[in-house]
Amino acid sequence: MSPRALAGPEIQRILALVPWIVAHPGSPKHEIAARFGLTVEQLDEDLLLVLMIGVPPYSPGDYLDVDDDEGNVTIRLAEYFRRPLRLTPAEGLALLAAGRALLAVPGSDPDGPLATALAKLEDALELPGLVVDVGEPGQLAAIRDAVAGHRRVEIEYLSAGRDELTTRRIDPEVVFFATGEWYVGAYCHRARDERMFRVDRIRSVEPTGETFEPGATGFETGDVYTPRADDTRVTLELAPAAAWVAEAYPTEAVTERADGSLEIVLAVSERAWLERLLLRLGPDARAVAPEEIEPLAAHAAQRILRRYRDSEGSDGPAARRRDTRSRGRA
Amino acid sequence: MPDAPSRVERVLNLLALLLDTRRALTREEIVHDVAGYPSQITAYRRAFERDKETLRGMGVPLTTEPIGDGSELGYRVRPEDYYLPDLGLDAEEAAALRVAVSAVSLGSHAGEGALLKLGGLADEAVAPIASLPIAPALATLFEAFRARAVVRFTHRDRVRTVEPWGLSSKRGHWYVVGFDRDREAVRAFRADRIEGDVELGEPDAFETPPDFRPDDHVESRAWLLGDDPAVTVRVRVDADHRDAMLEELGTDAVVEDDGNHDGGAVIEMAITNRAAFRTFVLGFLEHAEVLDPPEIRADLISWLERAAAGAAAAGA
Repeated sequence: MSPRALAGPEIQRILALVPWIVAHPGSPKHEIAARFGLTVEQLDEDLLLVLMIGVPPYSPGDYLDVDDDEGNVTIRLAEYFRRPLRLTPAEGLALLAAGRALLAVPGSDPDGPLATALAKLEDALELPGLVVDVGEPGQLAAIRDAVAGHRRVEIEYLSAGRDELTTRRIDPEVVFFATGEWYVGAYCHRARDERMFRVDRIRSVEPTGETFEPGATGFETGDVYTPRADDTRVTLELAPAAAWVAEAYPTEAVTERADGSLEIVLAVSERAWLERLLLRLGPDARAVAPEEIEPLAAHAAQRILRRYRDSEGSDGPAARRRDTRSRGRA
Repeated sequence: MPDAPSRVERVLNLLALLLDTRRALTREEIVHDVAGYPSQITAYRRAFERDKETLRGMGVPLTTEPIGDGSELGYRVRPEDYYLPDLGLDAEEAAALRVAVSAVSLGSHAGEGALLKLGGLADEAVAPIASLPIAPALATLFEAFRARAVVRFTHRDRVRTVEPWGLSSKRGHWYVVGFDRDREAVRAFRADRIEGDVELGEPDAFETPPDFRPDDHVESRAWLLGDDPAVTVRVRVDADHRDAMLEELGTDAVVEDDGNHDGGAVIEMAITNRAAFRTFVLGFLEHAEVLDPPEIRADLISWLERAAAGAAAAGA
């Protein structure tokens, strides 16, 4: 482990703590501890260390003076630590990125305190502006209202995995933006279980007039897909060109072979999702187990090819009249 | 004090000395003054190197300059470079920044580090509403963008020399947008596709056009991110999937009714990346079909035929 990793966080915390206490003499210890994410005991340890900081010739008046008056702390003689260390590029970026992202969330006040705080930050630190776009699918506002009001709603949802349009009653618990999409985590009365829905695939939101007691689901915000016990486990062989699949999806096991190819185990809940993945990867992936998924991609390819063959009529593909009987709404 | 000073104590005293001094100090002066350095020469030199690395790693602007007759190096930290300027935030503004850091997950602790310097963390955790992971290259690109320094990096196996004119996040990805000096054109690069380190050139190396908007140049539609010759393709999509396809295509797709009066549509779209277009259209399985041009349709059919043959080989 590098020395930086050992000493860095403690030093950085003290360098932030001292200027704040200098600027706020007599602050109660529990308040300081809470601000800096410490227990009062940890704060006491930090303050003992602060007492040991001084400059030559290290006579008593050259050390920082910490005065603890019944739990109210004052630091004196800290001229050289009167201001915190400037932000690193990563810290400046993180503040601006978080701020701009939150401002981009539909419904944020474009002239509120966050906007003015970011403007002051950019000005004082001469930081350049960032542009953050998180999109706004049509039903986002309705879904966020339902989450905020704990309102049960009925949605029309185009399921990407099952490839069908369904109507469901849901109790929406959380809404968030991740991997470039808006999601809502909800209890689904149709599935009688927790489900994650992509907001851009929700076609309509209708009120039911009912409310629900929040907290029934255990969603961690940001869990876009959590494998479930009853999902099918599939084993895929991936050529090196398709190795990104192991990073992009929650794989449960990865074995690397000598030739750079991978064998991965993936939890899959929806057949159509796996078909798409395999078709897209083409020769770079092969389904190995269970036995019944081996021909999955080939069968999907044959299904699609049938459509192309059907349309190769005498009039050519563009003029073909399609048989619609087999493709009603699911 | 009976105990030997800890490493943390030594580094804090080193920093206090370097900030307090009116002139640059030699290493020997420093290790003589600051408690906690070993007395043996190789040992204290090594310890001093480590401490310098720790301070620089935290962003302390530790400078060296020749002193005396120029044969020795001196060290100091200039307070004006060290101190964070007063941002003049009021209580509401500071609270708003704390909420933002708590509500937006960036996959690093840099935001919390910044909040500590600005006077403390959020009073209570806020449920995250957005996740926008920051690739390691992004902080360096941000610094280059701030300093107007040209950057060099490897992106999709090619070395690029770019004037970073802006940073932008779209569809969950961060992009650096700027003038590509080799291609002599404005280009956007996904930061998480940058391999290895970003090299920074000298500051103030270019001027960004005043009305430049980075998001105008960020292309989140993968089928337009490529150097294949531009082609307009026509795709037929079934009624149930028409809205989903249009949502992905954005505003510039041309839609016509497919003449079957069943709600399906024929969509015209431009593509410059055939592989990405194939992924896009396969995403709709048998609910979409490439109509023309004939070579793109033939490409897709031959891709599907190879996939279909896989089943025969597997004995299905």
